Amino acid sequence: MQFKSQAVAKPYFIAAIGLFVGQILFGLILGLQYVLGDFLFPAIPFNVARMVHTNLLIVWLLFGFMGGAYFMIPEESETELFSPKLALAMFWIFLVAGALTIVGYLTVPYATLAAMTGNNLIETMGREFLEQPLPTKLGIVVVALAFLFNLTMTMLKGKKTAIAMVLMIGLWGLAVFFLFSFYNPVNVVLDKFFWWWTVHLWVEGVWELILGSFLAFVLIKTTGVDREVIEKWLYVIVTLTLISGIIGTGHHYFWIGTPEYWQWWGSIFSALEPIPFFGMTVFAFNMVNRRRREHPNKAAVLWALGTGVMSFLGAGVWGFLHTLAPVNYYTHGTQITAAHGHMAFYGAYAMVNLMMISYAMPILRGRAANSNKSQVLEMWSFWLMTIAMVFITLFLTAAGILQVWLQRVSDTPLPFMVAQEKIQLFYWMREWAGVAFLIGLIVYITSFFVGGEEEKAK
Amino acid sequence: MSESSPITNQAAASTKRLPGDLAIWFFIMAEMVAFAVFFSAYAFTRAGHVEMFNLYQQTLDRNLGALNTVLLITGSWFIVLAVQAAHRDDQKAISRNILLGFLCGGGFLAVKIIEYSAKFGAGISMSTNTFYMFYISLTFFHFMHVILGMVILAVLWFQSRKGVYGSHDANGLESGAAYWHMVDLLWIVLFPLVYVMR
Amino acid sequence: MINILKNPAHRAWLVLMIATGMTWYLGEVGAAGTWAIVAMLAIAFVKGRLVILDFMELREAPMMWRVLLEGWLILVSSLILLAYWISLK
Repeated sequence: MQFKSQAVAKPYFIAAIGLFVGQILFGLILGLQYVLGDFLFPAIPFNVARMVHTNLLIVWLLFGFMGGAYFMIPEESETELFSPKLALAMFWIFLVAGALTIVGYLTVPYATLAAMTGNNLIETMGREFLEQPLPTKLGIVVVALAFLFNLTMTMLKGKKTAIAMVLMIGLWGLAVFFLFSFYNPVNVVLDKFFWWWTVHLWVEGVWELILGSFLAFVLIKTTGVDREVIEKWLYVIVTLTLISGIIGTGHHYFWIGTPEYWQWWGSIFSALEPIPFFGMTVFAFNMVNRRRREHPNKAAVLWALGTGVMSFLGAGVWGFLHTLAPVNYYTHGTQITAAHGHMAFYGAYAMVNLMMISYAMPILRGRAANSNKSQVLEMWSFWLMTIAMVFITLFLTAAGILQVWLQRVSDTPLPFMVAQEKIQLFYWMREWAGVAFLIGLIVYITSFFVGGEEEKAK
Repeated sequence: MSESSPITNQAAASTKRLPGDLAIWFFIMAEMVAFAVFFSAYAFTRAGHVEMFNLYQQTLDRNLGALNTVLLITGSWFIVLAVQAAHRDDQKAISRNILLGFLCGGGFLAVKIIEYSAKFGAGISMSTNTFYMFYISLTFFHFMHVILGMVILAVLWFQSRKGVYGSHDANGLESGAAYWHMVDLLWIVLFPLVYVMR
Repeated sequence: MINILKNPAHRAWLVLMIATGMTWYLGEVGAAGTWAIVAMLAIAFVKGRLVILDFMELREAPMMWRVLLEGWLILVSSLILLAYWISLK
């Protein structure tokens, strides 16, 4: 570790992995509820399990981003973190707030939770992904501001590299667009319109900058390719992301009551969104092929290549599948969306966090790379989780195609629940693929506790 | 178009080079794909509404459109001259030609604003009908590219005043120039397609 | 005059100006239908190719880039032609 204060990243990474486990467990419960509707009812109803599954995802990814940023910014700026104490304090605040929120979801009916937490002051709750009670939302803003303040001050006193700048733009964007979660107009069209400014502009906008910058950082470290070359790629990817992603928001505006031209704008620009992801794939492979040295941390390089490929497949290809308005007319809100969501989040954001953790954790634990034994195990977990996710996606896609056919395209369309029963087989297969994913995750965690001869820290 | 003979081809093989940076070409291709999709969307949608498109196309100002073509082509030409000046190290000519190219871009924007204010003043918007939706979308998207191109030219101009470009290194200038030519190329297709062809 | 035209950029500019005038003129006389469309597309193609080869200076560039850019021009013109052909039927 080059700077002592980078150590604050460690608790963030540990919390991220812990919450990741929680997310997967709730995913399995949820998957089972698709086929056994009353499983765990009334203790954990479907809507609560779903909320916990998606909220845990968002929170663990945020923990991962924060940990990664705390690790990366001091090293890029070549200076200690402005205030490690503030970073640790924010860690505990965020963790406690997150835990309390989940406990709230699980123990109190949602309406009661809303009444208890002052939702009548500013009505922000009840919208998908932004279900958090008001105090949690405010907590997120405080944590994000303190986090950004800390990193910005660090950068101001140190070097300002291009990849650190891209990361900071991504993180500032993340905070700014979250503010739209406080804006909840009564008009349902406007509500949805701006809701996407948080949701879409996060995952198909500023988060991609974070992804690109993390990827660039790890590639510089592990391949030894000139920073100039890597920065050039990053600039191109960032520009393409912003051009396609910002106007691409329109692919959510097809059927919510917005003017018709959004069908054109949304289709055309979101059809271009795969291009920056493809750029990232080419980027990762190109840099690894041109590597100037063999980094001992092979697992981190594998994650980097993996995120390059899987983000393109999940976000790019599976997104494109249903992004054109005439196609989306049939597929909107079906299991096709779920298939895309699973592989995109895993391929882009889960994997890039796992890559950062894979690169940084050994260093934080005082070695350049884990022992060969540990790395072999980690690579096993990579393949297990990735292949399991590919199958989850394929089964959901099959379920989705069948659903679209039975419920929407057919001359004699079936009601929703009847169609759901016809696709149970795919839900069962998806659930088993989910179990394989959990096994992969257990292997992943085990790899942290495997000893053996480690690479010395330099 | 003269094609080089095989012999000179071999001799030229070692000197074959892509002007400007690889990254900018990647970017240009992506942009051109976006416009290609937009152009085809226009053409194929028109096939379903020929009468409407033909009717409202008549309301567009072809003279201003043609004037804008002239401005962009001339602007592009000045930038080629700037690159040529860089290769013979004529510092003054580099800056002067970039500035002239920039002014042509400014002229384009001014003409476009006159055109837009007439249309918007008449109460036309993207929701008026499909033809106007495409007309405004395509020209406005291109308009934004002219602005971006001018920002790039402005950077090139400041750099050229510092004497950054010359026969030793024209990479940055060539990269910006390539982008500016793309803006021109796109308009060359857009103008006949939206304003004239029927 | 001959000397000036030795510079491919000047030559290209002159041709581009004339071609723009032709497109404008076709619009003024209200040319429509198959031949007008083909003529305008042909003019646009020649103009685009000049920009690619003489302005972007891809004449001496690696083959791949010439193919990509000129291919784009061919693709776009063909798609437009196809769409207009459908509309004339």
